[in-house]
Amino acid sequence: MDVATQILISGLTLGAVYAVSTIGLALIFGALNMLNMAQGGLLALGGYIAMWAMQAMGWPAPLAALAAMAAGSLAGGLIFVAAARPMLGGEGFETRIFIATIGIGLMLESVILKLFGPQPQAQSLKLEGGIMLGQVNLPWQNALIFGTALLMLVLVAGMLNRSRLGRAIRATSMNRDAAQLMGVPIRRIYLTILMLSGALAALSGIMISSMSGLLPNMGADPMLKAFIICVVAGLGNVPGAALTAFAIGMLEAVIQYIFGVQYAFAILLCLVIAVLIWRPQGVFGQKEVVRL
Amino acid sequence: MIRSPVRRDVVIALVLFLLMLAVPLLTGTRYVLTQLTVFFIWAVVASQWNLVLGVAGIFSLAQMALFAVGAYATAMLAYYIGLMLPAAMLLAALVTVGVSLVIGFACLRLKGPYVALLTLAIGQVMYLLVVNDTACFTTPASGCLPLFGGARGFSRFGDLGFRDLLGSKWYVGHYYTGLVLLLAAQLFCIAIIHGPLGLAFRGLRDNPGLALARGVSRMRYQLWVFGLSAFFTGLAGAFHAAHFGVVGPTAFAFAMLLFILAMIVVGGLGTTWGPLIGAALLMWADEGLREVSDWREIGIGLVLAGCVILFPKGLAGIRLRFSQGRGQRPDAPPAPPPHTKPV
Repeated sequence: MDVATQILISGLTLGAVYAVSTIGLALIFGALNMLNMAQGGLLALGGYIAMWAMQAMGWPAPLAALAAMAAGSLAGGLIFVAAARPMLGGEGFETRIFIATIGIGLMLESVILKLFGPQPQAQSLKLEGGIMLGQVNLPWQNALIFGTALLMLVLVAGMLNRSRLGRAIRATSMNRDAAQLMGVPIRRIYLTILMLSGALAALSGIMISSMSGLLPNMGADPMLKAFIICVVAGLGNVPGAALTAFAIGMLEAVIQYIFGVQYAFAILLCLVIAVLIWRPQGVFGQKEVVRL
Repeated sequence: MIRSPVRRDVVIALVLFLLMLAVPLLTGTRYVLTQLTVFFIWAVVASQWNLVLGVAGIFSLAQMALFAVGAYATAMLAYYIGLMLPAAMLLAALVTVGVSLVIGFACLRLKGPYVALLTLAIGQVMYLLVVNDTACFTTPASGCLPLFGGARGFSRFGDLGFRDLLGSKWYVGHYYTGLVLLLAAQLFCIAIIHGPLGLAFRGLRDNPGLALARGVSRMRYQLWVFGLSAFFTGLAGAFHAAHFGVVGPTAFAFAMLLFILAMIVVGGLGTTWGPLIGAALLMWADEGLREVSDWREIGIGLVLAGCVILFPKGLAGIRLRFSQGRGQRPDAPPAPPPHTKPV
C-alpha cells in the first residue's frame, strides 16, 4: 500500500511536469505544423532565470517564477519573429523550421553555459519539508508542482475553449486558410502560441530543475520525453497530450520501481516504438486522409 | 549528351578524385592528411544522409545511429570473432543495411515529423542500452567488458595493416582508403539522384497524383534508398572505427549528429555536391574556431539556423539562383502546398 502511494505520488508529479511542457509543444504543432526543437533550451532558460532572480536579485519566489515565464515567452516570441515567420508558407517548412530550432536551442544552451558555467546548481525556487500521509512522506514541493500544473492546465483549457483567442487558435489549427479568410490574424495567433508555449516551457523548466538540479543541457531528455508524449497522443492533439503525459509519468514511475532508474527511459522508448507501429497516427490521433 | 548532368557530375567527381590523389605527394604533413581523412569520413556520412533526407524526403535522424552500428559491428566482429578488419568492415556494412531495413519498416509508414522523432528515439535507446549495460560479458586483462563495450567502448581490435606495409607513413594508407570510400559513395549518390530512384522521387514531388497513379510507391522507394545508403553509412562508421582504433558511445552523441546535419544544410539539402561543400566548409570552420572553442557551439547553432532561414537551398543553391538570370525570382513564394488536413 505504501509503495503504491509512493509510486502514485512520483508518477503524478512526473506527469504534471511533462504535461505542462507538452501542451505547449502540442499547441505549436497543431497550429503551425512545427516541431520546436528549442524547447530544451527554453526549459533550461526558465530554470536558470528563476534561480538567478532569487539569488542575484533577491526576488520572492512567485515573482521569480513570473520573471522566468516572461523570459520564456520572450524567447518563444523571438523564435517566431526570427525563424518561423520568414519561412512560413515556403517550401519544406517542416524540415527547415525543425533544423532552425535545433540551431536556436543549441545557441540558447551555449549562452546559458557561458553565463552560468557547466557545474550543476541547485534550484532556489523550492519548498522544503513535507507532510506524512500514513507511512508515506509527501514533499511539499511535489504538491506544489502538481497544484501549479493543474492550475495551468485548467487555465489553458479555459482559454482554448471559452475565449475569443482560444477559438481563433482552434480555428487556425483546424484549417489555416479558412481561418485566415474569416479574418483571423494568423500571424498574431502564431506569435501568441509561441509566446504561451515559451512561458509554459519556462515553468516546466523550474519544476524539472527543482527535482533534478540545474544544468545547461538539462532540457534534452525532458524535451525528448515531451515529444514522445506528443507523438503517442497524436501530434497536435492538446487534451490527448495532457492525458498521455500523466499516463507516461505513471508508467515511468512504475518502471523505475520495478526495473530501476537507469532502464526507465529505454523501456519507455521501446513501448512508444511499439505503440507507433500499432497506431501510426497516435493513440488519440485521427487517420489523416491525404488529398492531392 | 556532353552536357548531360550525369556525365558532368561523374567528370567533376573523377577530376576531384585525381586532384586529391596527388595531395600526399605534394605535402607530407601528417596533420593535413589525417584531417582530410576525417573529412572523407564525414563527407560520406553527409552525402548518404542527404540522399535519405534531401532526395528521398525521409526525415530520418537515425543516420548517426546507423554510423554507430557500422562502427560497433566492426569492432565486435574483430574483437570477439577475430576477423580481419577489412572483412569485418564489409560485414559490418551489411549488418548496418539489415538494421536500417528493420528501422525503415518500423518508421516509414509514419509521416515526416513522426519519423524524425521515432528515429531520434531509436538512436537514444541504443545509446542508453550501450551505456547502462554494466554486466560483464568477458573479462580481458583490462577488466570487465560488457557485451557492447559499456561506457568505455572497444579498443585494440586490430588495424587495417598499413602499419606493417608503410611503417610510420601508415596514415597515407588511411588517406587513400578514405578517398576511395568517398569516391565510391559519391558515384553512388550520382547514380541514385539521376537514376530511376531519383526520377521516382522527382515525380512524386512534382506531381504526386500522376506518380501514384503510375504505380510509383513512395514507401517502397524510400525503403530502397534508406537501405542502400545505410551500406555506405555503415562502411563510413566501420572505417572510422578502423582509423581511430577505438569505438565508444560518443558515436551516438547528439552534437555529432548536429554537426553533420549542419554540413548538409549549409551545403544544400537535396543537391549532389552540397553535402561535400558543406562538410569541407564546416570542418574548416571548426578547425578555425578551435582557438575559441567556447564559441564553437554558438557558432554551429548560428550557422545552422541562419542558413535554413536565409539560404533555403544551401550554398549549392546560391549558384543556381544567380544563374537563372534577373527578373525571375526563383525564391519567390511557390504555390502553397496541397492541404493535407482531414476535412
